[in-house]
Amino acid sequence: MRHIISVLVENEFGVLAKVSGLFSGRGFNIESLCVAETTDPTVSRITLVTSGDDRVLAQVTKHLEKLVNVIRVGDFSSSGHVERELVLVKVRAEARSRGDVLSVINIFRGKVVDVGASSYVVEATGSQEKIQAFLRLLEPFGVLEVARTGVVALYRGEEVLRATIEEPPDLDVGGDHEGRIRREGSSADFV
Amino acid sequence: MSTLREAKRIEQHPLAGKKMTGADMVVQVLADEGVDTVFGYSGGAILPTYDAVFRYNEGRGSAEEIRLIVPATEQGAGFMAAGYARASGRVGVFIVTSGPGATNSVTPIRDCHADSIPVVLICGQVPRAAMGTDAFQEAPVFNIMSACAKHVFLVTDETKIEETIRTAFALARSGRPGPVVVDIPRDVQLSEGTYRGEGLLELRGYDERIGRLQQVALGEEAARSFYDLLEASERPLIYAGGGVINGDASEDLRKFAARFQIPVVTTLLGIGAMDTTDDLSLRMLGMHGTAFANYAVEDCDFLIAVGSRFDDRVAGKVKEFAPGARIAHLDVDASEIGKVKGVDWAFVCDARRGLAQLLRAGKGIQKDFSPWLQHVRELRKSHPLDYNRESPTLQSEEVLAAMNEITRGKAIVSTGVGQHQMWAAQYLDFVEPRTFLTSGSMGTMGFGLPAAVGAQLACPDKLVVDVDGDGSIRMNLGELETLTNYNIPVKVLLLNNYGDGMVRQWQDLFYANRYSGSDKTLHRKDFVKAAEADGFGFYRRVTERGELREALQEFIAYPGPSFLEVVVDQNAHVYPMIGPGMGYKDMITGQYIKPRARRDVVVDKNAGF
Repeated sequence: MRHIISVLVENEFGVLAKVSGLFSGRGFNIESLCVAETTDPTVSRITLVTSGDDRVLAQVTKHLEKLVNVIRVGDFSSSGHVERELVLVKVRAEARSRGDVLSVINIFRGKVVDVGASSYVVEATGSQEKIQAFLRLLEPFGVLEVARTGVVALYRGEEVLRATIEEPPDLDVGGDHEGRIRREGSSADFV
Repeated sequence: MSTLREAKRIEQHPLAGKKMTGADMVVQVLADEGVDTVFGYSGGAILPTYDAVFRYNEGRGSAEEIRLIVPATEQGAGFMAAGYARASGRVGVFIVTSGPGATNSVTPIRDCHADSIPVVLICGQVPRAAMGTDAFQEAPVFNIMSACAKHVFLVTDETKIEETIRTAFALARSGRPGPVVVDIPRDVQLSEGTYRGEGLLELRGYDERIGRLQQVALGEEAARSFYDLLEASERPLIYAGGGVINGDASEDLRKFAARFQIPVVTTLLGIGAMDTTDDLSLRMLGMHGTAFANYAVEDCDFLIAVGSRFDDRVAGKVKEFAPGARIAHLDVDASEIGKVKGVDWAFVCDARRGLAQLLRAGKGIQKDFSPWLQHVRELRKSHPLDYNRESPTLQSEEVLAAMNEITRGKAIVSTGVGQHQMWAAQYLDFVEPRTFLTSGSMGTMGFGLPAAVGAQLACPDKLVVDVDGDGSIRMNLGELETLTNYNIPVKVLLLNNYGDGMVRQWQDLFYANRYSGSDKTLHRKDFVKAAEADGFGFYRRVTERGELREALQEFIAYPGPSFLEVVVDQNAHVYPMIGPGMGYKDMITGQYIKPRARRDVVVDKNAGF
């Protein structure tokens, strides 16, 4: 099954290698990987997509939680979440096909960010499926180059994956779900 | 304030505010952590730190100095630190130079990680400006060690050196213990800064997890469900592992077993958690466990795993492991729960607090398991360990049994890896924890001799014996010299069968007696002369049964380092044996141990090593 796993880590060198090493060490391919700082510059968020046996992946997630520089781990696959990916596509846009190219871009709510003599650079965001459909429809016009960011994701609703255990004042955080917000001193998940 | 932090709070360090170099800070933190012995080999990139050790010790009495033990190779230093940590429970420390010094340390670091042993390795690294240029004696330590250690630090910011070393100790000993590597470029060791005498690096996630682990309480409901399982069972069995020893929980385990009269089997690393001479002890289970331990595993209806992890040498065929049993699992590492086998009850906690809480919660529980206890006593009586007593050639088992009559479970014993290791686990008694030191998970040949050095330095008043094989001892034979260099009174018992016995056993069983690479009959090596050449005062070879007891007596009683080689049967096999990937019902007991019921055992010739 496909899993989107989000990991909050100390923003330091070597952490990414350790995290990805846990997957490669078990023969899992990482389909996409996205890393960037969070609002706290000492914390980075790694979002990765992988597929494999659920039981083994649950084990890998537990091992992630053992890494010293890992702060928090969340697996989005089993709960409500939104996921997006951004793609930049350079597509051939000759005078005679421009109208058709533009209409595909509009249908997908894409944006032309650069116009060349015979090509566009187009920006689009969406779920992986949407991006794939978009690229498929652009293919007949001639796709020259593609750069994708890989998936990023957040929980729907009030649930959050946070580096700190303090509850944010403006959110009523009810959940004490495994790997997500835990109230201090809570031990229910250990028994 | 976090738990790691609270534990290490120091009032106001007398040296706080003092200017010193990074190297001096390293040594000062070692002193602050109570380190009395470091093991290691010097070299260019670590010279500033070696110099700092020298200067620290200058003018100090031997009681306050940090003793430096120099081995023959860095791997030796690593296993010495591991032996020190295993025997004492304190963090072992070794210090090596960059490049080859660091890569020679990879094996002991991985070995410590696999057996959860707390050590700190301090590596010199080429100066920051030279890193990544293929400089002289450069190796990518951070990358190499990341895959092998509990954690690795590369100190690129000279203002962090003090906290980093202190944090390395906190990490090594907290939670599930393990090895921590600190890689320090030479120019960082030379940089000047102000010593603060306190402070740890911030590790939010880890800190929080350890804090929670230290406070975790067994809920009423969880306790109730554990005792429901126990009360519903007629044949409970405790399966104790290295976590009991690492967690200093042997006393609690013994109390728990005694309170409910539950028999105990241990893993290889759990040996010593239970007094092997106790009526409740069934000794070791698994691939080469005792027949009565393995029969008990087959017969039990409730298996209580404590600090053990259903490793493949214990549960080779997972489905058939303890087939009739409900399973409870107490472990400090959440990722071990359900990793191999599903469990009916689990509690993530260190073994000591976990067992104490369970015991408290079970105050009113009364259940009589005496028929089951009688059953396992009969198993022990009817299916004892045994060996070829008719052979004119000395058998390893009889050598160890004879030694056991002298040491009576009181010695600290280290081993290499192979047949002699299994026989030591089977035939020697261990009364206390931290007295059987062996490379369990990694199975590193060459572990025994350096580990014994470390153990003897940690426990100067104890008798320390390295039970070794000819293949294993050869791998770190250079450390014989370390014993005489420092007059460390380790007793080295070499069981020489002229070959790699365990490999030979597998070749007998699975490779039609083709001894590819494992036969050393024609080797001309004279181990006794080697011991003499290294300055041993006692060195002797025994080939005849008649000489054995008297030689062992003298060997053990000798006040300094002593060396005894016993030439043993080359064709002996270790039994019982559960073949790789096989279930307990397919246990082979060999010619000399009485099996429970005869059945034709099919050996899988295609099974891998």
